[in-house]
Amino acid sequence: MSEDNKMDLGAQLDALDQSEEKFVPIEEVRQLTNAVRAFFQGEFSGPDLELYGELGELARFINRMKSELREFQPNMIADEKIPEASDQLDAIVQQTEKATSRIMDALERVDNVHRDVLERLMCNEPPLDPDVMAGVEDSFTEAGTALTDVYEACNFQDLTGQRIMKIIKALREIERQVLRMVIVFGLKNEESELNESDKMRLEENVDLLEGPQTGNKGMDQDEIDDILSKLL
Amino acid sequence: MAVDKNQRILVVDDFQTMRRIIINLLRQLGFTNVCEAPDGKIALERVRSEKIDLIVSDWNMPNMTGMEFLQEVRKDDAIKHIPFIMVTAEGKKENVIAAVHAGVSNYIVKPFNAATLKEKLVKVVGDF
Repeated sequence: MSEDNKMDLGAQLDALDQSEEKFVPIEEVRQLTNAVRAFFQGEFSGPDLELYGELGELARFINRMKSELREFQPNMIADEKIPEASDQLDAIVQQTEKATSRIMDALERVDNVHRDVLERLMCNEPPLDPDVMAGVEDSFTEAGTALTDVYEACNFQDLTGQRIMKIIKALREIERQVLRMVIVFGLKNEESELNESDKMRLEENVDLLEGPQTGNKGMDQDEIDDILSKLL
Repeated sequence: MAVDKNQRILVVDDFQTMRRIIINLLRQLGFTNVCEAPDGKIALERVRSEKIDLIVSDWNMPNMTGMEFLQEVRKDDAIKHIPFIMVTAEGKKENVIAAVHAGVSNYIVKPFNAATLKEKLVKVVGDF
């Protein structure tokens, strides 16, 4: 409401209060009515009206989300797509770790053979020609440098492994949040076919989904499937 | 004084492949007396029960992180003198500062090569 409107209404109410007239002329009643109308128009055209509009927008957004959730089958996301993506990434980590392990096995064997051959040559009786021995040692040093290069290159497995594990963790968090959203909207949906016992169990599950699942407290896949079938 | 290449080095990392990489790189540098542990908790038990001369530890590990392990080592009078090199994929400034405050001897950011490992070892144990 504008300051002018406030003052206008205030002044007219004061004048009315102080008036000793038994009757108020119709013109003054009309002015007072207009001032009251201006007051309320002002009231609802300020920031509160904006907030009201925001709330309406939020309500429409929630409704839209609910129908989109039904259309896009969040059960597919929570129940199939995310676990499938997590499994694929898990498989990549395992396969690259296995491959790196095989490379390391082979490298260690080559390294051991090198050391063994070099030791035998150095202990050879009669001793090998010093020039020949120096050349052999240079060659082994070069081979050792190449081995070191391959060991260094194997660093990739640790980094990719750790980063993929982070992505898997993020995917599982999204899965948990989607499932939680499905339950929360499902509980509010009056059209759902849930009985009281189902609702109580779902409310417990919403609490469980508040944080990351630990130990045996989390829901197993059958429970998740059961919830999704009742809600969607 | 020449560095004793027979000193006992404990390599701690939850990724077995990473432990093998570090152990082999140390071997290429001439350090062959190396043992290993998959997390800070097991590493702490080893440090308390064996003679360990140097620790090379990852930061992110289950059960006990490298940082928690470092803090435990530095709290224990019997083992707090052991040089501790932290190896991590996290090169964030605040992590380095936190590790320095906790008493780390040096810090290696992954991925690293043999030259970097040697450079950090030299700073901690002396030239070789």
